[in-house]
Amino acid sequence: QAEYTLTYASPYPPGHPFSRADIAWMKHLEQASGGRIGFRTFWSGSLISSDMSMEEIRHGLVDVGLITPIYARGGAHLLRAQSGFYGGIASIRDQVAVYDCLDARFPEIGQELEGLHVLAAQGGLFPGVLTRNKPVRTLADLKGLRLRAQSDAIDVLRALGADPVNMPMGEVYSALAKGVIDGVVAPADTIKSLHFAEVAHHFTQLRFSRGAYPARAMSDAAWRRLPPDLQGLVGNSRKFWEDVLNTEILASEKAGVDFAAAHKVEMIPFPAAEQHKLDQLYNRYALDQARALGEVGINGEPVFRAAQALIAAGPIACPAPNSGVKP
Amino acid sequence: MDKPEAPTGAAFPEEAISPEEAVLPSHSEATKARGPLAQIAYVLGGAGLLAATTTDSLAVAGRHTGLHLLGSIELVQAAVVLLATSAMLIATMVGGHASVHIVTERLPRPTAARLARVASAVSGVTFLLIALGSAWILSDLWNGHERTELLHLPLRWLRLLWIVFALLIAFQFFRRARASQEPGQ
Amino acid sequence: MDRLRPADCLPVLPPRPRFAGARPVTPELIGALGIALLLAILAAGVPIGVGLLLVGLGGLAVMISPEAGLIKLGVVSFEVISKYELGVLPLFLLMAHICFAAGASRDFFDVAARFVGHRRGGLALASIGGCAGFGAISGSSLATVATISSVALPEMRKANYHPGFAAGALAAGGTLGSLIPPSGALIVFGIIAEQSIGKLFAASIVPGASQAVFYMVTIMILCAFNPALGPATARVPWGERIAALRHVVDIFLLILFVIGGLMIGWFTPTEAASVGVVAALLLLAFRGGFSLATIGEALRATLRTAGMIYIVIIGALVFASFVSVSGITEALSGAVTSLHASPIVAILAMTLALLLLGSFLDGVALMLLTTPIFLPIAEQLGYSPIWFGIFLVRTMEIGFVHPPLGLNIYVIQGLAKDLSLGTIFRGVIPFLVADFLHLALLIAFPVLTLWLPGLVAG
Ligand code: NA
Ligand code: NA
Repeated sequence: QAEYTLTYASPYPPGHPFSRADIAWMKHLEQASGGRIGFRTFWSGSLISSDMSMEEIRHGLVDVGLITPIYARGGAHLLRAQSGFYGGIASIRDQVAVYDCLDARFPEIGQELEGLHVLAAQGGLFPGVLTRNKPVRTLADLKGLRLRAQSDAIDVLRALGADPVNMPMGEVYSALAKGVIDGVVAPADTIKSLHFAEVAHHFTQLRFSRGAYPARAMSDAAWRRLPPDLQGLVGNSRKFWEDVLNTEILASEKAGVDFAAAHKVEMIPFPAAEQHKLDQLYNRYALDQARALGEVGINGEPVFRAAQALIAAGPIACPAPNSGVKP
Repeated sequence: MDKPEAPTGAAFPEEAISPEEAVLPSHSEATKARGPLAQIAYVLGGAGLLAATTTDSLAVAGRHTGLHLLGSIELVQAAVVLLATSAMLIATMVGGHASVHIVTERLPRPTAARLARVASAVSGVTFLLIALGSAWILSDLWNGHERTELLHLPLRWLRLLWIVFALLIAFQFFRRARASQEPGQ
Repeated sequence: MDRLRPADCLPVLPPRPRFAGARPVTPELIGALGIALLLAILAAGVPIGVGLLLVGLGGLAVMISPEAGLIKLGVVSFEVISKYELGVLPLFLLMAHICFAAGASRDFFDVAARFVGHRRGGLALASIGGCAGFGAISGSSLATVATISSVALPEMRKANYHPGFAAGALAAGGTLGSLIPPSGALIVFGIIAEQSIGKLFAASIVPGASQAVFYMVTIMILCAFNPALGPATARVPWGERIAALRHVVDIFLLILFVIGGLMIGWFTPTEAASVGVVAALLLLAFRGGFSLATIGEALRATLRTAGMIYIVIIGALVFASFVSVSGITEALSGAVTSLHASPIVAILAMTLALLLLGSFLDGVALMLLTTPIFLPIAEQLGYSPIWFGIFLVRTMEIGFVHPPLGLNIYVIQGLAKDLSLGTIFRGVIPFLVADFLHLALLIAFPVLTLWLPGLVAG
């Protein structure tokens, strides 16, 4: 029996790549603490939800949990919007690095994380375009396609003449099968994980931008229960957690690409000049979204400009991350 | 109703019992709720039902004619809040909640009546707790501008509506607990 | 005396539980106590939804903190009442109420009776057909049994059918409503188990149709041995039969439109409810019954039933959180796994548990309660979640008709007060036998369930 048993909850099932990384992190902490820290886990949303998890952790429903400020409908508008400010970014590692810099520079980010200790930030795979039977080789090919897309891509797709629709991800498979939609904007891992290879035959490797966001957090109360040495241990495990997350996410992408090859899904490379055009268009609408944060009393434009300056400057290095409540 | 032909030999008209009366076989109270509060609940709930139907149907029609109603899901969600909150109040006012009667119907009448009173009071307390939990969340998020993704419908008013209805439901249960205390019940 | 503690007055007890090393109160014990407390509260007549909510909240408060419990209550309640996918249930109810107001359900039965009424037990066969037909527009077993019985029961009694036999056939036939798509229970299962609702609907077609066939065969066998159960009515000439069909052409079109549109992909399963309401309104208008009063009554009836369902769902979800924190899920699945029982034995154990719970719980609540516990076990044993969803609904339906507390029986008794519960329960017994045989068939041959969704998936 561990001296400190922490509860951990996630809306994802235990086999999901995120969860595999979380399990690796828990094992790591159990070992590094010499068995003083132990975990009880609650998967598949049995204890926390995906859009209210920040609130649920704040009030102590669990000690540690997966948070998705990008799905929160209130109280985290800057965290949510800033993940759309990363147009032109090259890798998941860079996404996390830029987020850390923004976090260090803008105290407004920390304010949205009040009551939480962020234990890891996470980036994401770049969504491409998966289509049933109309291959997309240039931006012009998107014209007239009915595509399911996440909300930050909707303006861009409209500007390109596509017909974006917003439907629950759970309905996408049958919508593709029946031709209700022509395709979906999604990363390559979904070719395998959501069985899309059965209903779609072309994957265009264009890249909608993705940013990082704080993704795992501990409640303030749970943090204060730990003695200083264990607080240090947990705080220092951030790098480990972000590394395993990165590894798992990339592995899921590779699994999707391999699956595509085995199931005759055509992988279509996207010309660099076209990608550049897409990035510029994406950033134009991202700036609009940054300005629109004024509606909820947030000055988003400086955050957008800072993110773009960091991305333009190349390899990114910043002071230590700053999220959440200080020890 | 203007029917082409009467059904062969119906022993009683089909209106004699409506499905929902049959669905709730063991409650003996009237299935009609009256008074201004019931009127408001029926109007709000009916509006929610019709709004959800209309929005989703227009979204389907729009998809087939190329006129896309982005965010229709969010409108349906808002309509569903209206209909669900009103429906719960109405179900409470007409005493339409599903419950187990196998034990209570075998008890002596005074005992059963006392038990029913306690059950109503317990239910009232439960809804007060729902209102409390919901109010706690609302106070956290009041300045957080909670809103839907595409249409930016402000959610705080819908949360507030739910709190008000949870309180009204609690009030109905408490009234029921007191009413069954009076003689003749 | 002031130093005397309550424990001193009790007989001498061992200071620790008898099992050395065991902690006095484990989370699993709290979970088990919670379930016992729930049963007691429900038996005392507290509404099912409220009982689930209260015990769930209390459990979370004890095991985590009162603050955590209240927050979960706030989160879950608003999530349920604003969920798009759950908004489908009231809309399907509304569609059924409008069809009822349009006289569609009665006409449907009437035509079926003309075609088979002259056979022994023909009206009972027609009732099963009517239940299957109504089941294709309604998502619920209770709505189906109430609607069809209100028309078919008086007809059968008028034709001198044995009342227990007639009531038994209707009670059993009503359960077709929750398996034949659209199915409220399968929609709920699809959401909590994260399974495609379209696949679940496809998977339910063969089991639903074969269930109807099982009931029909039961009726034929019973009437062959005892013709007095269901005497034949006068034969209706073919000309009149065909002529009667015109009264139900519009109903067939409505069913074809909703089910066909779902299959082709004109609309999603969630949108089908709204489209169905509009189609039912058109049907009502076409039949000349379109009036504000009629629609108002359909809306009011829908709200009364929907309110009951919403409270049960909120309660079940809060209770499920508590069950999850208590670790009973792990304890149960650990027990099954450690027994190294064969998958069949494990499924039989689950069937038994579901039949017990199903006799006093509402279908949706039962689904929400048991899915998180049983689905992981079933998957571990190698069963497909789609098959499991069908199994769960099929087993749960039996709970609607078996003694001591099948809700369908109470519905029928509400319609025919002169029939005793005992008479109806006795009438149900042969159909229960058919139910168990059918269930065994589904367990023995999962392909019956999985063949069609396999085709749909291409
Ligand atoms: Na049905
Ligand atoms: Na039951």
